[in-house]
Amino acid sequence: MNETGLPLLSLLVLLPLIGGVMVGYSPERLARSVALTIAVVELLITLWLLSQFNVAQGQHFQFVDNYQWIPSIGASYMLGVDGLSVLFLPMSALLTVSAILASWQTAHLKRLHFALLLALEGVTIGVFSALDLLLFFLFWELTLAPIFFLIGLWGIGPKRRNAATKYTLMMLSGGVPLLFAIIILALNHAGFGSGHVPQELTFSFPVLLETPLPDALQGWVLLLLVLGFAVKAPLVPFHTWLPTTAIEGPTQLTALLTGLKLGAFGMLRFALPLAPSAAVQYSWILGIVGAITLIYAALIALQQSNLRRLLAYASISHVGLVIIGISSLNVQGVQGAVFQLLNFSLIASSLMLIAGFLQHRLGSTEMVHLGGLAKIMPRLASLSFLFALASIGVPGTSGFPAELLLLIGIFTSHAGIAVAALAGAVLSAAYMLIYFRGAFFGPLKRPYNPNDALALDLRPREWLLLAAPAALVLWLGFSPNSLLNTQQLAAEAWLSHLLDQPVINVTPVAEQTDSVLTSPE
Amino acid sequence: MFDALAVFIPLIPLLGALIIGLGALSGFLVGEYREPLTADIATWALSMASLLALTVLGADILGENDGVFHLGNWLTSDNLNINVSLITSGFNVKLAALFALLLTVACKFAVNYMHREAGFHRFFFLLSLFAAAMLWLVLSGSTVCTFMGWEIAGVCSYLLIGYAYDRPVATQNATRVFVTNRIGDAGFVAGIALTYSWINSFDWLDLNTAATEFSSGQVNGIALCFAVAAMAKSAQFPFTPWLARAMEGPTPSSAIFYGAVMVHAGVFLLILLQPIFAQAPLGMALLIVTGLLTAAYSFFVGLTQTDVKSSLIFAGSAQLGLMFLECGLGLWQLASWHLAAHAVVRGYQFFTAPALMHQVINTPIKPLMPGIAKVRWLYTAALQRCWLDQITDWALVKPIRGLAHDLSYFDDYVIDRLIGVPAPAIRAASSFAQQEEQSLGARLENDYDNFAQGTGLAGKITEWFAALSHWFEERFILRTAPKDVAGVERKFGRLANNIERIILRPRYLVLFVFITLLIAF
Repeated sequence: MNETGLPLLSLLVLLPLIGGVMVGYSPERLARSVALTIAVVELLITLWLLSQFNVAQGQHFQFVDNYQWIPSIGASYMLGVDGLSVLFLPMSALLTVSAILASWQTAHLKRLHFALLLALEGVTIGVFSALDLLLFFLFWELTLAPIFFLIGLWGIGPKRRNAATKYTLMMLSGGVPLLFAIIILALNHAGFGSGHVPQELTFSFPVLLETPLPDALQGWVLLLLVLGFAVKAPLVPFHTWLPTTAIEGPTQLTALLTGLKLGAFGMLRFALPLAPSAAVQYSWILGIVGAITLIYAALIALQQSNLRRLLAYASISHVGLVIIGISSLNVQGVQGAVFQLLNFSLIASSLMLIAGFLQHRLGSTEMVHLGGLAKIMPRLASLSFLFALASIGVPGTSGFPAELLLLIGIFTSHAGIAVAALAGAVLSAAYMLIYFRGAFFGPLKRPYNPNDALALDLRPREWLLLAAPAALVLWLGFSPNSLLNTQQLAAEAWLSHLLDQPVINVTPVAEQTDSVLTSPE
Repeated sequence: MFDALAVFIPLIPLLGALIIGLGALSGFLVGEYREPLTADIATWALSMASLLALTVLGADILGENDGVFHLGNWLTSDNLNINVSLITSGFNVKLAALFALLLTVACKFAVNYMHREAGFHRFFFLLSLFAAAMLWLVLSGSTVCTFMGWEIAGVCSYLLIGYAYDRPVATQNATRVFVTNRIGDAGFVAGIALTYSWINSFDWLDLNTAATEFSSGQVNGIALCFAVAAMAKSAQFPFTPWLARAMEGPTPSSAIFYGAVMVHAGVFLLILLQPIFAQAPLGMALLIVTGLLTAAYSFFVGLTQTDVKSSLIFAGSAQLGLMFLECGLGLWQLASWHLAAHAVVRGYQFFTAPALMHQVINTPIKPLMPGIAKVRWLYTAALQRCWLDQITDWALVKPIRGLAHDLSYFDDYVIDRLIGVPAPAIRAASSFAQQEEQSLGARLENDYDNFAQGTGLAGKITEWFAALSHWFEERFILRTAPKDVAGVERKFGRLANNIERIILRPRYLVLFVFITLLIAF
């Protein structure tokens, strides 16, 4: 763990939060420029952090900031990133810049809108870098407040308030099992020390990783953590908030929600490593849940006529594939999963932003209202097609190496589930291209005047915010190693933590279980 | 020493495609004025590729080539290494030279044919990209790289079938063709993954040398996966109808994709995997059966086609069927000669198809064989192409659509209601008018009385219990009990009947059988 002079991660968390306050107090007409400046500075800092990240030590947490927070219960303020999480920081920052640019013409409550977007960015970076479970939980729940207001105040559907309430309530109920699991883990640590409960408690993730957990508790902890993260991921049947939010919420926010898969990240970062032997034992159940999610959401996507709902289901389906990849418990599956999660921030979010552009121009993303758009918006259509291809996983785009790694990982562990994944690949081509045909091809539904605002092709600002992810999608498709190298060591360490555990701990865990059961007397 | 030149054979057309694509996207290469420039770039790129291919071929004939040229590493994950290498000897180079020449001819032909067409620049972008993909497919030495070319060629085919994108039939067919081919692609990916999990390599040469070391189950499995891929790409029996649908594109693209080059990719794959198939009797049997079926089917259907492109395409698929048959019988040499000769002849026929009237002016087209013409049902069957499309629709597309429809309903009305809508969201004020109403105290939708309201946990539980008893008493005891109970029973009965009817639909039966098989597998 190397210490740097500058507390970079704390800076990354605090800058957008302070920036949000600044935006709140800046003049109305300057608000968006201030917000954009802060988001760009944040992006530059994350890129600098990435360049300073020591890939050769990728399995260790770096840039660690560790301060005491609530000493009486052992909670600390601890941030750090390793090879698995470091790439999510620049992606979140890039996505926030895109979201700010996409909502450049927000009409009402500008200051609050941009302040909330920045606050969400700060909290999200906190989620990706928190190494103390209590701190993680704090950031996790703090994401709800900005999202609630963003959906409720700037949503584009008539039932936006309902959608905001629904989202918040579902997330809060997902938080409950999470908190239970965190408390069980902390108490378990205290139990293995001297048994003094308030003094021996700890929420530090690296410490808890090393603390052995009795087999009897492992299953429960895994179940609670997976349940908590499944709501946010989302996995079937906890997914119903996403289509609602996609229809009712503002597209820039939905792009953030589909682009940053906090739930799947939590599953990878916390759920499996904290209950390693249960994770190994029950990985096949997770795989089946993932397969159900994959096929179920893909089939429903086939039935959608609205682009935003379609993208919501497509993203659920892709999460299913990621979960199967994680559950395959080999390096290819894990690396493919992280790769695919990063792809979401490029592909799913760009498609969602494009849906927003269409909504803004034509007032609808329903297939019956669109048609023939390739004629009047050739650039928008070309870029959408590129992202659609990436979402299908066509070679040449970043979707391909990620999907290939996932499929190879799945084939080597659960061949039966791999057949479902292949079926999902066929279905994904079907739903994407059927919608694409309806919206962009065919005759125009009504005559457009070339100078009409309705028929406007991409504006320079929109062109810019799509060109960056498009270039990254092509670059990562051409040279996936530039991304995979960063996470290689961390993925191997993650895996060996899971797989080596049961072999070493078979007898000690059993003895400890007995001692735990007998010691209270 | 000439091995390195092989890299440039696909690279130069790719470069041409990039220049044309970026030029068109940036608004430089548009309009009739720039047509000669675009045509020059494409022609130059393809001519250079042919020249290089001929050089490499000459060097190979003189025995100057090493056979394999290693280019570098594309993707690494743990012990998985996907290397990029090119095969620079034998059949691959011969085919590359032939295809490059045919592509150049097509390009020359298209310069005049496509003059003043709306998508002139788009056409040449796609032609160059396709040339790059096809030459890459033929030359590359690893399964993954071949798959890249395979899939990108498929995307080009999609875009050229949908060339006239304002015509609904064209885009409908394009989507159908791409999704059909995607089934073959799934087979290809399964083949890649199985190969990797058994021999830990992605190299065609490694795979072929390992052919004798596989168990018979393994070698048959690999052979079947790749055979499915080849069958889809070369339009063999159950997939044949896509080829006729693909005739929507402009004539030069039909000539090069479905007459001369792309349809032969499947046969090429079989010839490449000759040692594997030689060990796999099951794979060989499959080739014989599909080859025979395709040849017979295409001959029969081709008899009654009334337009030149359709009759050519069925003649083509009949020949492809014969090639499959030859491969299945082990006549690899014959199959490769057949492939090359067929590519030239069929390409020529397609190019001259628009001038058919000049050719048939002195030789009238022969009438249909009287044997078939007199048997009316045979004639109808041939004219309807044996209803193969309709059968696929009935057996595959409709059930999946129906399943999607049912699931979509289930998602909205069962899962969303069970999980997604918490009570407060229903009562939340979603419009200003509602809020006003509530603040005035006009609770219009309020149908319960506030008499029994508890606070705290115990209070709430008491309240719920009271409400339940009240409901029970009112429904079953105070009201005329027997009638109401009967009503409820009837309702339940109807529901149960419904569920049973749904479950007994063939698509669900098939689905259950499929899931059971997957789990057993």
